[in-house]
Amino acid sequence: MLSGRGSKPGSLGKYFYLFLLPALAVFLTFSILPFAFTVYYSFTDYTDMNLKNLNFVGLDNYVKALATPLMRKAILNSVIYAFCMTGLQILVALPLAVLVNLKLKTRNFLRAVFFFPAVFSALIVGYLWSYILSSSNYGLVNNLLSGLGLDTFHFFGPKTALGSVILSQIWQWAGWAMVIFLANLQSVPQELYEAADIDGASKVKQFFHVTLPLMAPSVKIIAITSLIGGLKVFDIIYAMTKGGPGDTTETVMTVMLRHGVSKGFYGVGAAFGVMFFIVVIAISASVTKLMGKWSAAIS
Amino acid sequence: MSLFVRSRARRSRRGTIIVESALVLLALVWFIPVYYLIVTTLKTAKNATDSPLGWPDPIMVSNYAAAWERMQYPRAFLNTAFISVTSVALVILLGGLAGYAIARSRTKAGPRFFLLFLSGLVVPFQMNIISLFSIVKHLGLMNTPWAVILVNVAINLPQAVFLLKEFICATVPIELEEAADIDGCSVPTKFFRIVFPLLKPVVATLAIITTLNVWNEFLIPLLFLQTRDRGVILQEVARNIGQFSTDWTAMFPMMMLGVLPLVIFYIFMQKYIIAGVAAGGLKG
Repeated sequence: MLSGRGSKPGSLGKYFYLFLLPALAVFLTFSILPFAFTVYYSFTDYTDMNLKNLNFVGLDNYVKALATPLMRKAILNSVIYAFCMTGLQILVALPLAVLVNLKLKTRNFLRAVFFFPAVFSALIVGYLWSYILSSSNYGLVNNLLSGLGLDTFHFFGPKTALGSVILSQIWQWAGWAMVIFLANLQSVPQELYEAADIDGASKVKQFFHVTLPLMAPSVKIIAITSLIGGLKVFDIIYAMTKGGPGDTTETVMTVMLRHGVSKGFYGVGAAFGVMFFIVVIAISASVTKLMGKWSAAIS
Repeated sequence: MSLFVRSRARRSRRGTIIVESALVLLALVWFIPVYYLIVTTLKTAKNATDSPLGWPDPIMVSNYAAAWERMQYPRAFLNTAFISVTSVALVILLGGLAGYAIARSRTKAGPRFFLLFLSGLVVPFQMNIISLFSIVKHLGLMNTPWAVILVNVAINLPQAVFLLKEFICATVPIELEEAADIDGCSVPTKFFRIVFPLLKPVVATLAIITTLNVWNEFLIPLLFLQTRDRGVILQEVARNIGQFSTDWTAMFPMMMLGVLPLVIFYIFMQKYIIAGVAAGGLKG
């Protein structure tokens, strides 16, 4: 109010751009520019045989990508994986968080153990679980099953492999989700439960009518981050199944890497990337909208 | 009435004990894969097949010596550490400077740049691997740690700018800076001497989340680090597990050496890591 432009107390003057510049340079070069190029390449005949004279080919690459059964299968698998993994993870982590949030003596111990797998790299979790679920004589689960005189189970068959991958990821990430749910639970005012107690509401009723509605913010965060993370799943597949058997666990990223990068179909790969982006945006937007409706319906 | 309340309290206490025992049991089951990993690293192949969950007999420490050598562990560790430490430092420094500039901007430019950075949160970098590959090649960064570092920084910056800007707006009092202005402090002095030290909680959160992200990142090194001498720990694990897939007792120590640095980090910093994830997660 007192002085002119640029010299207001607390304002930065030329330092505004100087401070912004380094972050902006890295972000533009390695995030925005690649995005723009991906969109551009997706409309050209860019391949490893044609690196220089790129021609505009319209929607050819998109048509090609959609006509390739492998790519359709990969998108479908990624979507199935993302939804199953997110849904199950929330179903496991939410009750777990509510129970651990009771005034338990072992609370810190429980939290530490359930969170532990989240510090592992997904790649190594993948290798570890492929030994745990292996069908050969050293697979832990099948070794125990046959020790008990039961039939062994084929965890990496065409119908079971994706489920086995999901299982390993629930194990890895449920604790992470639980920690975020716990932080949310701690902000629920205790008076609400006291009031519900006086009204004679059972604990189960309290969970559905008091706790759950107030958990909307953290459920939304876990749902969105885990759906997006699930759509771009790569490491765990690379370690556990390499996309097999057949194409039953191929995902967007395994196909993009093999087809788009290694085999040199850059244009088609880029189009595939753009379609992947559209799916990500569509799913995030609809989940956000759905969760908004949930919050609105409650209040 | 008081009798009723007491019996109800007693019942709920008994209920708590049952719930707690069940949870402890579940936690032990949850821990089995980790336990299995640890004991198997110390077993012979026969011992591991005969009693997969038993205590190792004999204890084979030599498994680790072999894995250490096969993975060229010291080199792989140093490469990973250099990439992680540099990426985390750059994310915090660049994110802090940009977050501060945006937080204190009084024109429309601030919010506009903020939105630009936030757009990074919805663009999965994985969709861009083909163009990233050609950009890295044209910049002459292929097969250097800087390719991995800069891509990691770009991926982690949006969250950093968001958390830092919000934290500065919410908790750093502008009066403090105005007082520094009156004392004739330059803007950089103000930022590094007054503002930055106040950002400790959010910097800790970011350091933890970014360390986990960068250390465990596999796809980026796989794309950009092609010769073995530049590779990171996870690439060594992947390479060796492919190569020695029949000699499976050799593989468990490799997996263990792969996760060990972060496990040690977790054991010592457990409280802060969980608090950091909770803080970063709820806002992010």
